[in-house]
Amino acid sequence: MTAAIFNLNHPAHTVHWHFFSMSVANVVVIVVMLVVFAVAILAPFPGHGGGER
Amino acid sequence: MSSVSRKSWTARARERAVGALPPEKLLPDSQPSYMSSWIYVFGVLTLTSLIVIIASGSILALKGPGWWHLTGIGHFFNSIHMWAVELFFFFMVIHLWGKYWMAAWRGGRARVWITGAVTFLVAVPCALSGYVSQQNFDSQWISTQAKDAMNAAGIGAFWNLMNFGQMYSYHVFLLPLAVVALVIAHVLLVRRHGIVPPFQLSGAGAGAKPTSAARRAPDSGSEGTS
Amino acid sequence: MSHEPDDSRAADSSEAVGRAGRRRERRRADEAAREWKGAYRPYDILREATIALGVVLGLALVLTILFSSPDLKPSTVQTWSRSDPVDFVTTATTELDDSSITGSYGPPYNHASDGQNIWFIHLAKWFGVSHPINTAQDFVLAPLRSITGQPALQTAVSTYEAAPANTQTTWTSAYEKALGNASAKPGGSVSVKPGNYGPLPTMMGSLLTFAQSGGLDGALLTSKQFYQTDYTKPLMFMSDGGVLVNRAMQQHLLGTQWGMMNETGSYPGQVWLWLYTFWYQIKPFSTSTNADILVLAVMGVLSLAFVLIPFIPGVRDVPRRIPVYKLIWRDHYRSAPPAGTSAGHTEEA
Repeated sequence: MTAAIFNLNHPAHTVHWHFFSMSVANVVVIVVMLVVFAVAILAPFPGHGGGER
Repeated sequence: MSSVSRKSWTARARERAVGALPPEKLLPDSQPSYMSSWIYVFGVLTLTSLIVIIASGSILALKGPGWWHLTGIGHFFNSIHMWAVELFFFFMVIHLWGKYWMAAWRGGRARVWITGAVTFLVAVPCALSGYVSQQNFDSQWISTQAKDAMNAAGIGAFWNLMNFGQMYSYHVFLLPLAVVALVIAHVLLVRRHGIVPPFQLSGAGAGAKPTSAARRAPDSGSEGTS
Repeated sequence: MSHEPDDSRAADSSEAVGRAGRRRERRRADEAAREWKGAYRPYDILREATIALGVVLGLALVLTILFSSPDLKPSTVQTWSRSDPVDFVTTATTELDDSSITGSYGPPYNHASDGQNIWFIHLAKWFGVSHPINTAQDFVLAPLRSITGQPALQTAVSTYEAAPANTQTTWTSAYEKALGNASAKPGGSVSVKPGNYGPLPTMMGSLLTFAQSGGLDGALLTSKQFYQTDYTKPLMFMSDGGVLVNRAMQQHLLGTQWGMMNETGSYPGQVWLWLYTFWYQIKPFSTSTNADILVLAVMGVLSLAFVLIPFIPGVRDVPRRIPVYKLIWRDHYRSAPPAGTSAGHTEEA
């Protein structure tokens, strides 16, 4: 089998809050999505103002 | 148009297609000046994720469903396939967020929104059929759990998650065909209608003045893919 | 003379004029959004797509090299019967008297119940029994009948089949109760205290041995034809017991663990199912016997609304009212400032 550099084959750590329970991996994915969305909107885009890209 | 082409289905279809999507609209080499945000790349990232999913899935299909359990190279392509799926949904949802906040259905683009939304909704059962086709413990658990929802809706009568043969057929052929057809419709509609212009602020008119470096599009609305 | 009727008529009339005006404005703004008549700049669509493909391929490769993908071996009836023979025998006995989950499921497997419903809509019942499973026959009696060279076993099965229904129930109930305190012997067999179980100890002892040898996996799979891809029977049998659910609990895949979103191990899972699994965590869904059909109905309505956002007043107006668009198109607005207007005044979209 392919040996990964990081072994994720162990039971997941979870984030608990009231009845909400999510694996750390999924929380990371959601947080990264929100961050990437914010960066995509806020980051300056090269070549604005009519120049070539 | 000659009297022959007036009756010809082929000529009529060709003229309609070319009229709706002339080459310079299908493959434009300019885009509106207001497209200056990184949010616009998420459509093409979603599309290319789908390409990687299909390519890696095709390699897995070449050697059959049991291969990835037996060899390192098979497991490698299974991993590519799995991560490409994660990337596909990741980019697709960000693309959808961007399009929502742009109200990208404006200006007659409702069908663009609809095809995009339906693509997402069809991709979910396509992924489910893949999860139950893995032939490992995950498949066993997902199929025996999700079957309750399918049965409750009567869908279980003809779509049996525990029938590997059926699920594999849906996953490798039928549902990807549906997803690809929807994506093609979505992209062609985008090319036809163009990328939605910005909301107008009062008195701003149609937008940026053309600069010396900018060129006008040939016909109307030649824009990018996102 | 009362002015109220005149005032309210005037108010209604001005509101109608306001609504008509807003509709006209919305239509005008929508028409203006059809086609961009402003500036363009050069753009290479194929180069962008190629770069995107490279980025995605690169990301997939990096994630593969860093993390690979999970592949937990499947459970089999053989591994189940060897690792937990008491649970196996207990489950098999409940299959015999139809008290198992599968035995009492209803459509599409049998007529033991009507299945789930929402109001007057009984979709499961309407679609009927399309994948019939007779748990006593399919999981116990037919596999036992296929074992040759054991006359004592065949006699025991005949004794069971010939007994009246209430006698069979007496045996199975007593045996299930005794199994609650049973233990596994070193050789993998099950020992219960003496009682009135009829031929069950012989039958279940043989079934256990058959399962532990791997024969039952095959028998459940190829019961209809040689080439098979339908794992319904072995999967339903295993899910009636504890083997799958115990592993699922360890992997955080149970419904109460929001398991629908999770992958085995510590891998990211199906994050897009967050809303679907959310409903199962709250009342009335969390305590309803019709939870699945109710959640599907809610998600069906929400999915339809999602597809039809362009036509839903309010929802379609949020992007205009909460101006995230001003960030997205800030370069565009900067290069064409509004003439003689106050900031933040926008026309309807």
